[in-house]
Amino acid sequence: MLLIFLFVERREFMLQLMEYSKANQLLKKYGIRSVDSAYVSSAKEAAKFSNKKPIVLKAISGKALHKSKSGLIQINLGSEKEITDAYDLLVKRAQKFKPFKIQAQKMVKNGIEIIIGGRVDQQFGKLILIGLGGIYVETFRDFALRVCPITRFDARSMLSQLKSRKVIAPDKGAEIMIESLLLKVSDMLITNDINELDLNPLILHDGTYDAVDIRILK
Amino acid sequence: MKSSKMKYQDLTHILSPKSVAVIGASENPAKVGHAIMQNYVDVGFQGQIYPVNITAVDKIMGYKSFKSILDIKKPVDLAVISIPAEFVPSTIEQCGKAGVKGIVVVSSGFAEVGNQKLEDQLIAAAKKTKIPIIGPNCLGVMDSRGRNDTLFLPTFKIDRPKVGSVSFASQSGSVGSSILDLVSGEGLGLSKFISYGNASVVDEVDVLNYLAHDKDTKVILYYLEGVKHGKEFIEVAKTATMRKPVVVLKGGVTSAGAGAAHSHTASLAGSSEAYEAVFRQYGFTIGNDLDDLLNFGKIFDTQPLTNGNRIGVLTNGGGHGVLATDAIYLNGLQLGAMSKESQTALRKTMPPIVNIRMPLDMSGEATAKSYEDALTVLASDPGIDAFMVIALFQTPGADEKLVQSLINFSNTKKKPLVVVCTGGSYTKSHATILESAGIPVYESPTTAARSLMALISYSRYRNKVEA
Repeated sequence: MLLIFLFVERREFMLQLMEYSKANQLLKKYGIRSVDSAYVSSAKEAAKFSNKKPIVLKAISGKALHKSKSGLIQINLGSEKEITDAYDLLVKRAQKFKPFKIQAQKMVKNGIEIIIGGRVDQQFGKLILIGLGGIYVETFRDFALRVCPITRFDARSMLSQLKSRKVIAPDKGAEIMIESLLLKVSDMLITNDINELDLNPLILHDGTYDAVDIRILK
Repeated sequence: MKSSKMKYQDLTHILSPKSVAVIGASENPAKVGHAIMQNYVDVGFQGQIYPVNITAVDKIMGYKSFKSILDIKKPVDLAVISIPAEFVPSTIEQCGKAGVKGIVVVSSGFAEVGNQKLEDQLIAAAKKTKIPIIGPNCLGVMDSRGRNDTLFLPTFKIDRPKVGSVSFASQSGSVGSSILDLVSGEGLGLSKFISYGNASVVDEVDVLNYLAHDKDTKVILYYLEGVKHGKEFIEVAKTATMRKPVVVLKGGVTSAGAGAAHSHTASLAGSSEAYEAVFRQYGFTIGNDLDDLLNFGKIFDTQPLTNGNRIGVLTNGGGHGVLATDAIYLNGLQLGAMSKESQTALRKTMPPIVNIRMPLDMSGEATAKSYEDALTVLASDPGIDAFMVIALFQTPGADEKLVQSLINFSNTKKKPLVVVCTGGSYTKSHATILESAGIPVYESPTTAARSLMALISYSRYRNKVEA
């Protein structure tokens, strides 16, 4: 029992959260779309980033694994006042997760939230996952899993395995887009030192998609 | 990831030996070595049998005995070792000197009881002698063609299946022996049986690789608790499932250690999900219990593959037609659609009370001829990929003639055919004849539909056709 405990502790210690901007760059390198974002060090900077369009503010810390559960995300901030209030609130809440940074992100239109992820299995190596995402991940547990690298056939069979297949990929175009995305993620997983990956949510909207939150554990 | 395997162990001499030494053979019925010897005699092994026992004098069960494997001085393909665990490593080394080509260690008392040191000694002896070793702590192997049988289960207690083309592999001895008994009951024919216990030398990768290439094995049924070499398992699986269907039942699906997840992905996809992913990705057919292994085993053994999922249902009971329709759609299949030509042809042969539509309910008056006519017409209908024929033998028209008609149709192997028979002893006796003629019979439309879906899914994998 003790051994298991030590092992888990050690593993936890070993896994490191990749810095958000680095993670974002890595996605770009593999042609995986993610929403525009920047670190801001004041409410003013955040307002400048927003450029009069609604934004999201997040407090990013290696110590806070569930941002929404910890109240570290404020969405749909349009006016300067909304941005300033939200900024101050996040800074206050994030005190117990020091060190932290505040990130501003363009607001993505509503769409279908999915999760694409990866992890290393002790026995079979790197795995890739796709499922219904956002707040539905844990509730419906509707996901498909494969060993990397995957083929296009694998990507297609992952989609067809999902109960939410018709929701996630309602037409041929969406199907092909998501298949290609899965192939890119599989490629990224096997060619990089990644232990765990969460793109959750990744929002499907207007015939395209954007990874809205990125978590890469090395 | 664990250290990688260099190459796969060759099990040919273990499964198909020309000569066998039973080390630990005994006249004493209380000894495992006695049961093993007795079985070699009972099942009629055609090769040489050499009983070996350190206390041996003269003959054991009528065969000239030897004090040591080294005293035989003739070629020995397989040594079956059933002696106290502590003497096993040195005996393996003697087998090496005697030129033995394969070993089954039946004895227990190794890593499974915490004696890792002895297990390590056994592995070291295997490395030194380069002999493939199955076990320890196992039932061993059976080849029904070569009548090679290392099982220490007396033949009167457990049925030996007829000779056939389904092979079964299992780490566990108890699951292995119960499946043997069940296989005999289902009328399935057995090719090879391998129970490999601790998997200390020969492991799941070697077993799968061997069965994949064994020409007498058409279908592999595999009870698996775990895999030691994941990457190699995948490599072998890719080849195996392209050659023949592999139905796998994974024991121990409750995953441990999922508590420490930092990501949604890790919390969703634990070790047991990873196994399932591997099985799906590399073309295994996943069974949920032993019944699935047998039910899927018999359809794979006897029926041709098809990518299409449109099922033609013929029945002599309306209610069963409804149940079949439900089972079909609940399992990802669909009812076949009859062509205009078929409908016209059937209208001519069927009595007026029969509605010409799917499911084709020919009523309780249906006879062997009704079934024959319907199958003849629909066999060439492009809208039907496979048949589920419901034969309720309680009705006046269903008798041994119906059995003969179904067998005649089945022998054409045009399209996959499964038969559903629900009932008591009269039904069962007819079902048995159907099964011995190579027609899979199921007691419920649900089992029949699940088995058809297993066949179709595998076929689609083989042909890389997505649903």
